[in-house]
Amino acid sequence: MSEASVQQAEHHAAEGHHHNPAARAENLKFATWLYLASEVVIFSVLIATYVVFRLHSPEVVEHFHEGLNEWPGIWLVSINTFILLSSSWAMVMGLRQIQLGNRQGLIRWISLTALMGTLFVLFQYVEYSELSHKGITLYYNADGTFTDFGMRFYAPTAFHGAHVIVGILWALFVVFNARRGGYSADNYAGVEVFGLYWHFVDVVWIVLFTLIYLI
Amino acid sequence: MGEITSTEHTAEKVGHVGKHYVGDTTTILGRTIPLPVYTVVYIILGVVTVLEVALAEVFPRGGLTIPLMLLLSLSKAALVVWFYMHLNTDSRIFAVTLLIPVVMVSIATLFLMIVPVGY
Repeated sequence: MSEASVQQAEHHAAEGHHHNPAARAENLKFATWLYLASEVVIFSVLIATYVVFRLHSPEVVEHFHEGLNEWPGIWLVSINTFILLSSSWAMVMGLRQIQLGNRQGLIRWISLTALMGTLFVLFQYVEYSELSHKGITLYYNADGTFTDFGMRFYAPTAFHGAHVIVGILWALFVVFNARRGGYSADNYAGVEVFGLYWHFVDVVWIVLFTLIYLI
Repeated sequence: MGEITSTEHTAEKVGHVGKHYVGDTTTILGRTIPLPVYTVVYIILGVVTVLEVALAEVFPRGGLTIPLMLLLSLSKAALVVWFYMHLNTDSRIFAVTLLIPVVMVSIATLFLMIVPVGY
């Protein structure tokens, strides 16, 4: 086969691949999973740092948990956990709606996802304010009780919060795109990829909630 | 987790999309529940979370409390990954992509946990 015909065959193959929505969707999802794999490593470093600190300084963490017993404390974080779990449910129900060809349903559920993500961030801000009043800050505090704890607590939770903020913006983009007719029962890869990201953020919180607040 | 499935017959009636079941009923251990599988998983996640908080805040702590809470947390994470992120139906390569870093960092973390203080 001549070089020109090889190039022509490759061009046709590439074009055919490009116009195959199913292959495009699979590629998008695979790319997203690769990205999430890198996120696993980053979050794991932060979680491992906390776990090692938890093992070596249990008295500091116990003191932190005692502080959580005061209202709103653990109840605020638990409510926030329910909000994030609910947002994951709303996300996947939105995906189900577009799979069934209901674009309005998609818009409603993803808007709800964005709203619950926003509530999560607001409640996390309230929680951080409460904790800073108790002396849990990023830096050395006056009585030295929570020295070294602050960074190990705020790094994973705030990094997670930043991911929620990115997710909210992404959800709003999905809603915007849906309103313009960007998705249908045959074309919803964009919604699915956003869902992978949002559920990953939820999974990270499930682990953080247990490790940091409950154990 | 293989016991929880969306009823295929209903899914076909309302739209069986690609590899995902979008039926409005769910079958658990042979019993059919008139809710989509996503809602059933959500209810399970909520109940397990309540159980976790109760174990941590209400019941006195025993030697098994922490392992049990870790098990419950990992079960919740697995449910989300399996059903909401569709690893139950999507390509196995996605599962491998997730498992490789999870296994690697788990080994690294366990190693860090056994290193003595100040070493």
